[in-house]
Amino acid sequence: MIEALVIAAPACALLTGAATWLARTARQADLLNSAGAGLTALLTLVLAAIAVADAAHPHRGSWWVLDAAGGVFLAVIAVVGLLSALLAPSQLATSGRGLVRAARGRAMYYAAYHAFWAALIAVPLVDNLGLAWLLVEATTGASALLVAYSGTRGALEAGWKYLVLTTFGLAIAMLGIIVLYVAIAPGDGALGTLDWPSIARAAPGLQGGPAVVAFVFIVAGLATKVGWAPVHNWLPDAHSEAPPPVSALLSAALLPTVVLVCWRVVVALGPALQPGTASALVLAFGLASLAVAVPFLWRSMAWKRLLAYSSLEHMGILAVGIGFATPLATAGVVVHVAGHALAKSLGFYAAGPLLRHAPRAHERAVRGLAFANPPTAGAVGVSLGALAAMPPSPLFVSELLILLGGIAAGEVAVTVVAATLLALGFLGLAHALVDGLVGEPRVKRWRSARSGRRLRRLTLVCGTLMLALTVAACLLPGSSIVSHLMAGIA
Amino acid sequence: MSALFVIAVTALALAIVIARRRTIAVVLVGVQSVALGTYALVHGFGESSAFVVGGVLLVGKGVLLPAGLAWVVRRTREPRLIAGELPALTRATIAAAITLATVELIPPLGLDSRAADQGAVALVVLGVVIAVMRRSAVFQAIGFLVAENGVYVAALAAPGGLPAIVEIGVLFDLVIVVAVAAAFTTRIHDEFGTGDTTLLGSLRD
Repeated sequence: MIEALVIAAPACALLTGAATWLARTARQADLLNSAGAGLTALLTLVLAAIAVADAAHPHRGSWWVLDAAGGVFLAVIAVVGLLSALLAPSQLATSGRGLVRAARGRAMYYAAYHAFWAALIAVPLVDNLGLAWLLVEATTGASALLVAYSGTRGALEAGWKYLVLTTFGLAIAMLGIIVLYVAIAPGDGALGTLDWPSIARAAPGLQGGPAVVAFVFIVAGLATKVGWAPVHNWLPDAHSEAPPPVSALLSAALLPTVVLVCWRVVVALGPALQPGTASALVLAFGLASLAVAVPFLWRSMAWKRLLAYSSLEHMGILAVGIGFATPLATAGVVVHVAGHALAKSLGFYAAGPLLRHAPRAHERAVRGLAFANPPTAGAVGVSLGALAAMPPSPLFVSELLILLGGIAAGEVAVTVVAATLLALGFLGLAHALVDGLVGEPRVKRWRSARSGRRLRRLTLVCGTLMLALTVAACLLPGSSIVSHLMAGIA
Repeated sequence: MSALFVIAVTALALAIVIARRRTIAVVLVGVQSVALGTYALVHGFGESSAFVVGGVLLVGKGVLLPAGLAWVVRRTREPRLIAGELPALTRATIAAAITLATVELIPPLGLDSRAADQGAVALVVLGVVIAVMRRSAVFQAIGFLVAENGVYVAALAAPGGLPAIVEIGVLFDLVIVVAVAAAFTTRIHDEFGTGDTTLLGSLRD
């Protein structure tokens, strides 16, 4: 039953993509997209619910796993994927000629979108590092097409940069996987060698040299896909040039999903290295990402680009939490993944109507939105307030948990540096929030009843979910779910 | 894997660094892929699954992907050679220096010979070097193939070989990535009138 669900969820997304490709009219394609996305999200949420409800006993098949950590990520991928799919028709209705000729543009968008979503859903479900790599690499082609969908010069540049950097990064990660494979089972050609539990069992007995090389290659290679500094160059461009629903899926689902693969590698392979080595590498990526992101959060920046640098900051926080590897930090990481997904996707969804009515917002910071369009201002305010970790945002609780986890881990110096950078980031985003909402207006007032209603509803849904998450986050430390997460991640 | 074979496929990658014409570079990477595919067939002979996988990889990487890139080269005629690149001798010197330094620094990886360890890393490094030093989008796509051939050297030199599903999966992903890269290359050429990727520099903070 569970294995059937594990296959059905990504297969449903793939079939939806194929069906929309064959649709005869735009309306047919939109309907198929919405119906297929609803079913895909439902199947994925059922899997997530099973995983979290039975956190103490991860379900496993020959090639798949359904554990609590995967469950949290599946829920995030399902919700963000569904919202982005439902918002796609309104986005496509306003798109002109893009990467491909207009007649096939919608079909290409839906096919690539659902292929991308299918691969994302499958990543937390596979119980094998090699298969996880194949799926992460499979997201690249489809998502690069989506990034460049508008066909503008900026979009082509962003898509190309994304394709080149992540492909080379993943090639390095694959080299690391082969080194690990040889180190674990020389002469044994079985796929099961790369299962997460097999790696965890073999890790304490691995020799230092190849294990270190494998770990560094795998994590550094995957870091290009996560967008951790200093290999993050594609991230601000891709997030700012992609259509807003795609930006939301990239930032809120793709990046954390690859973080999950890194997290499993750290937990499974970490014992093969000198104590603290695995954590040190991940903490270095985390602090570097925070340090690189913060100056940009202080600059006056176009809305989607500001969100992109905020993604860099938040992926840095996740890395810091994973590096601390204490129960408090683990609880913080899980809450952070979910809270960031809700806040960031709302921010990108607000960018749709914003860019339609104020195209200059693509190039420069928005100001005075509260006067120009209250529904957009509401969405931007909730999103930015949450991303800045203003209470009662779940990100306030998650960042606090991660920092307390750092102190519990004895990493006081790293915690102080991270806290300082987070405080500076908060100030930058708070300034952007005040300026964006009540600064001197740069955009003309606009009214759009339909998009206004949609944005109000989205703000209400995301805001409510974030408040619920804040409550859950306060109850999480010390709960059995966290200990199952710590034990069951690999 | 013999040191001579590793040197030969690495020399082909180095030749791509200095090749002036895109067509020559496509041929060189095609020859490199065929050499690796043939090696896989010869060493997998007697094991039916290895033979089939080797055959699929040979056709995919040695024939289909270079043919696709050759089509892109034909479709995107450059009015003149892309100017502003470093002289060939300088490129070769820098590439060789970076590659030699990296392979000397890399500890043993556990592959079937030290030459294989070094060859795999050298090809991945040269793939990145090609993408960084060459301005044409086609050369950057060729860089993918060279780096992936480095990964393939590691797979061939892994005792017992990699699982077939991983090898075929990697090929499938590579085909998708190169197909998308080809679509980008033609679109970039249509938009800018050239495949010079240095023109893709408008997004800066």
